Amino acid sequence: MYYESDAVSFEYDEDDDASDSFSFETEDDDAALSQAKPLYYTSNGTTDDNARTSTFNNVWYRPWTLQEFVQVHFLDKMEKLKQDHLPNCSVDELLIMLQYKKWQSEEVINDYFDSRERLYKNSGLPLDGKSKNTFTVIQDFSCYVCCETYPSTTVYSLTCGHQFCISCYYHYVTHEISNSKLITCIDPECTLSIPHKDIDEIFATYEAKVSAVKVRKPLSLNPLLISSAKLFIDSHNTYKWCPATDCNHFTELLGTPKEAEEGEHLKESKSTDISQVSIIGCPDHHEFCFDCNYENHLPCPCWVVKLWIKKCEDDSETANWIDANTNACPKCQASIEKNGGCNHMTCRKCRFEFCWICLGDWIHHNNSYYSCNKFKEDKENGGNETSKRKYKSKLSLQKYLHFYKRFAIHESSMKGDLKTLSQVNEVTRLYMEARKEHEHNLSWNDIQFLPDAIKSLANGRKTLKWTYCFAYYLADSNFSEIFESNQDYLNKTVEDLSEIFESIVSKKNTNKVGTILKNKNKIINLSDLISSRRKTLISSAEVNLKEGLLSFSSE
Amino acid sequence: MSLKRINKELADLGRDPPSSCSAGPVGDDLYHWQASIMGPPDSPYAGGVFFLSIHFPTDYPFKPPKIAFTTKIYHPNINGNGNICLDILKDQWSPALTISKVLLSICSLLTDANPDDPLVPEIAHIYKQDRAKYEATAKEWTKKYAV
Repeated sequence: MYYESDAVSFEYDEDDDASDSFSFETEDDDAALSQAKPLYYTSNGTTDDNARTSTFNNVWYRPWTLQEFVQVHFLDKMEKLKQDHLPNCSVDELLIMLQYKKWQSEEVINDYFDSRERLYKNSGLPLDGKSKNTFTVIQDFSCYVCCETYPSTTVYSLTCGHQFCISCYYHYVTHEISNSKLITCIDPECTLSIPHKDIDEIFATYEAKVSAVKVRKPLSLNPLLISSAKLFIDSHNTYKWCPATDCNHFTELLGTPKEAEEGEHLKESKSTDISQVSIIGCPDHHEFCFDCNYENHLPCPCWVVKLWIKKCEDDSETANWIDANTNACPKCQASIEKNGGCNHMTCRKCRFEFCWICLGDWIHHNNSYYSCNKFKEDKENGGNETSKRKYKSKLSLQKYLHFYKRFAIHESSMKGDLKTLSQVNEVTRLYMEARKEHEHNLSWNDIQFLPDAIKSLANGRKTLKWTYCFAYYLADSNFSEIFESNQDYLNKTVEDLSEIFESIVSKKNTNKVGTILKNKNKIINLSDLISSRRKTLISSAEVNLKEGLLSFSSE
Repeated sequence: MSLKRINKELADLGRDPPSSCSAGPVGDDLYHWQASIMGPPDSPYAGGVFFLSIHFPTDYPFKPPKIAFTTKIYHPNINGNGNICLDILKDQWSPALTISKVLLSICSLLTDANPDDPLVPEIAHIYKQDRAKYEATAKEWTKKYAV
């Protein structure tokens, strides 16, 4: 089967490093999969080679693309039906009958042998099995629906002979398709169904009229089949759409170690066992949580995520946005909105270099310990009761804004990184050209480190982002300091890598390839470091939560 | 595209008006019409004239027109706001249907209500249990609001 994700190498996706001992990621390595795991058996007893497991907590899942789903659940079913039971029926007829019977092959077989005539009539097929559907170009045609008179137009009609212009059929089908049901002839008295293939032809003919290019798509991209697949996925709770922006893929949950009821119970309770979080992946390797349908939010448990999201929505969004997204230059007070990923800022006006997070001079961040993400309580002391209360509420708002700001910064930095990623393609091409010129003995594998590093960076940011939500709800303890220092390490590494990428794609950099070559080892080391620090952070959070060394303060 | 079609329907209505109903634009806006239906003689609505408002969506005729009674009427498939429960105004709509055909369908709905798919369950209940009472109330409402 054609598997799309393998072709995509520069997507913002997850690293598939199968060698890590602690991994909550998808294992793409087939050998590792078959070696380590028993094969998953689907309901009809066959093995499913596409099943994956998240080794983090043994969740079995299968990433799907819509096209694959249509192929497996609709087209393969139709082929099987044709081969085993109804060899005399055409593909069009079988698809219409299956669609009518909601893709239940058994029902089609039963009804067919019960009364072929009735099944044909009900599903809108001509009884003699000879369909006379035609697309013809007609001169001086008046369409009954749009009331236009065309000097020359393509006209579609089913076996009934009711003719309507292609433009009306196109608009009609576009409206009807979302019902995921068979589409009949426009004539209200007529019950004949439009075959799937003709729907494609209607789209292709109409679009050819507009763009002058006729594109034929495979049946697995048929709009009615895609729409039916969407309906199927929406109505079955073992399927979840990938929440990543612009991602059209989805994932099927095949089984988990926890029983369904226990799972419900866990979702309700304030469990701190983050090994129970069902992190799964889509075909593009976006990680997300099956239970709450958010992106991979480790180290936070689902209920903390819900509290946080609710809190962020409750508090004044705009104030937070302004606070989190713009800063005044600490030296010249010029307003600055950050549009890239790196937090090392240089003021365009006064050239002052500062850290976006703490607004301190960047000099203090360079070689020394990156210490701008700890929340230090103001040592200010209140006088009377009222001012104490005021001070307390001010402090609580400060605390929230402190963490929200960092959460939002990493979220927007992630977008900045993605922008950088889009330029990496171009830089990679330059790199390859440079390689040719200098006749270096390199292969495509050697530049794989670039997209890998970007993936690693994006993952690091995602985890970092959620650590601020985690830290907000964390009760103070000695172990929370260990958590914070883990957070510091990750933060530092992520910023370092982000900075290298920024310098590569920077407009001022005239020797982009040179910069890549010079920094190759640094990039590889940093991205490995991010992966390992990220894993250390999550696994230590998991262990400490389990043993009660870390706990969440109720708010 | 929809404008051409709406103009055509208006012209057809003028050339060959249906016997029991009429329809036309309210003002300059061709997308907003008013229609009237005469109560069918073999129904408790006989003698009344019922007004309806018609709104055409911009993607008419691929989406059905929005039609509602503006005259109060006692009927199991028409509610207090004048909304009509009729399959061809919803999922059974076809672009080949016209306002004239829809109005005729509404006329026949007045003669033969569909109490098994009611919009107002209370009226449907009375319609099924005590047909005489239903007819009396419908007649009374017709006299009160539609004459």
